[in-house]
Amino acid sequence: MTTTPPASQDAADAEVRPILEVEGLTKEFGTSSSSGRWSLGKRTAGPPLVAVDDVSFTVARGETLGIVGESGCGKSTLVRAVLRLLEPTSGTIRFDGIDVRALDAEQLRHLRQRIQIVFQDPYGSLDPRMSALQIVREPLDVHAVADASERDGRAARMLELVGVPASQHRRRPHAFSGGQRQRIGIARAAVLNPELVFLDEPVSALDVSIQAQVLNLLSSLREELGLSYVFIVHDLAVAEYFCDRVLVLYRGAVMESAPSKSLFKAPLHPYTASLLSAVPVPDPEVAQRRRRLVLPGQVTPRAAGATGCRFRERCPVGHGREVCRTTDPELIVTEVGHQVACHFPGEILAENRSLVGEEA
Amino acid sequence: MSDVSDVSGVSEARSSPQPVTGATDDGVVLSVRDLVAVFDGGRRRPPVQAVRSISFDLHRGERLGLVGESGSGKSATALAILGLLDPPGRVLGGTVMLNGRDLRTLGDRAMQKIRGKEISLVYQDPMSALDPVKTIGYQLIEVIRAHDHSISRAAARRRAAELLTDVDVSQADRRLDDYPHQYSGGMRQRVMIAVALANNPDVIVADEPTTALDVTTQAQVLSLLDRLATDRGSAILLITHNLGVVAGFCDSVRVMYAGRLVEGASTRALFKLRAHPYSDALLRSAPRADRIISGPLPAIPGAPPDLAALGPGCAFEPRCPVGHGRELCRTTAPPVHTLPDPAGGERHTECHFAEEQIELAAAS
Repeated sequence: MTTTPPASQDAADAEVRPILEVEGLTKEFGTSSSSGRWSLGKRTAGPPLVAVDDVSFTVARGETLGIVGESGCGKSTLVRAVLRLLEPTSGTIRFDGIDVRALDAEQLRHLRQRIQIVFQDPYGSLDPRMSALQIVREPLDVHAVADASERDGRAARMLELVGVPASQHRRRPHAFSGGQRQRIGIARAAVLNPELVFLDEPVSALDVSIQAQVLNLLSSLREELGLSYVFIVHDLAVAEYFCDRVLVLYRGAVMESAPSKSLFKAPLHPYTASLLSAVPVPDPEVAQRRRRLVLPGQVTPRAAGATGCRFRERCPVGHGREVCRTTDPELIVTEVGHQVACHFPGEILAENRSLVGEEA
Repeated sequence: MSDVSDVSGVSEARSSPQPVTGATDDGVVLSVRDLVAVFDGGRRRPPVQAVRSISFDLHRGERLGLVGESGSGKSATALAILGLLDPPGRVLGGTVMLNGRDLRTLGDRAMQKIRGKEISLVYQDPMSALDPVKTIGYQLIEVIRAHDHSISRAAARRRAAELLTDVDVSQADRRLDDYPHQYSGGMRQRVMIAVALANNPDVIVADEPTTALDVTTQAQVLSLLDRLATDRGSAILLITHNLGVVAGFCDSVRVMYAGRLVEGASTRALFKLRAHPYSDALLRSAPRADRIISGPLPAIPGAPPDLAALGPGCAFEPRCPVGHGRELCRTTAPPVHTLPDPAGGERHTECHFAEEQIELAAAS
């Protein structure tokens, strides 16, 4: 960037500026300060539940950030809070430098041309009465993009790009297979030329052979359209394959964040390590050889004001340790790009050399 | 069709090393032969051929994995075995021998006695199998008393609490009075396992029992299922789409595609080498946690065939890396090839070009 002449400094900033910066984002349910429409309503007894707790991350242009965690870890709430489909309790969200929380409804609507979302269930999110072409054309109509006469052509080109041939554009969702429906959902998200796309478990409902097709499609669109992705996924093998960087969430907070290669090779947080060790590996010899860390219990929501590490009850490292009981560990940087919230980072690795299986 | 593929009896006590000669073989607890099931398509529509003449044996204490994608016929197989295939589904033919009796010849009442006692089912979605307006305790006691009319309510309640304790539900006596929605997904699945195992069945059919669960809960549930089945000497037919689960859990595998068992082998032999192009492609197409894959995933092109409009050839031909476009594959259903299984017994594959596939798989 040093070669950029001063006159276009703004443009240069835009290039290096992350597409999305989230800082200290918190979403509580059951508080009077949260928007009444979305709160859990009548819940009066006890402290509020913290679904997303002081989460910060950035997404660079062209980057794919994976967000992984078990059900109930807050990944969906996090995405909805970032998109302001749920009003955050506190924190800041900057999209391309714009303060998203300061926008009014009209400005927000306008911004949503640049941020799109693909849902897990392509059937539930496609209008059954509309044809594939109408579904993909609709966002162009809503945002009045291009001349009305050009919109059909643009929608048709996008459908062909995602692998739905012209002969099928007049069909309705029910006439497509799950994989084809997901292609239509992707075309609808991509037709507005967004810069950032949230992918909420886009391949979880698909068969393995179809999942590979859709992942390949998403990765070629990333190249061709220069997209950035935030990929919500529970399948760690998919996260490792598809994402540049991964954020591991547990009970609403970031436990670990790192480039996917180093996260999967050497997880520092006992939660990440346990998740990895539980992923079934399609090789009976590896399955027999590796050590499994079976976590007791399951994820429960965390009440506001709770103390200590949120993972300690299930933790193979910190269970029973004083500091884990009393002090919530902060996210510390262990090396460039690698952050972990644990009092004893890496201890799990020293004890378990073959959590995932084969040495690389 | 001979269909035997066991781990040798030396190292794995729970499998029988003998080849199967008939349903009378004493190592075999469940023997399915030429099972055919369809779903009627309504007026003027041809039926969907969900299960197209499959045969396999399940040995005492064995863990057999039935792997396939949605629509491959694996759940229809499970329901057909248990006599639970409801219209528009129908079993058209074949035998299902359990402990030497053909379940297909039995009436509803006789089947009700056998289900839950000699053979039981664990569903994918425990919420749909549990009644939301009755307590867990009520439902457990109902199952216990259905098969033991002489047991008192109090004794049945004690037995129910024991069952919950067996499946690692803490404070079992108190939790008997909870409703299903007060249990987490993993706990509900453990209750279903408790129900399925309540009467020490010989065979447990588990239809995607962990698909709806997180990986950590999946690991808990699978190890629980394995431990309890081992204690009771129950065999498990595990229906799944996840080859990773098979690798960690099963002694042997059958791979199902378009209603046929296209490949069968011991788990070790199958993961070492796939003798059918579909099994091979399926294994390669998924990202794995234990190795790094870069570049595009080797996806299987196209989609599974319409089972109401199958041609005369191999159902996998349009998507097959080995057979696509070949005259023989397009026109003729592949015969069964039988090969020795390195783990003992035999393995089989339904492919015209099995030798070619094996060479390809061995070379890569």
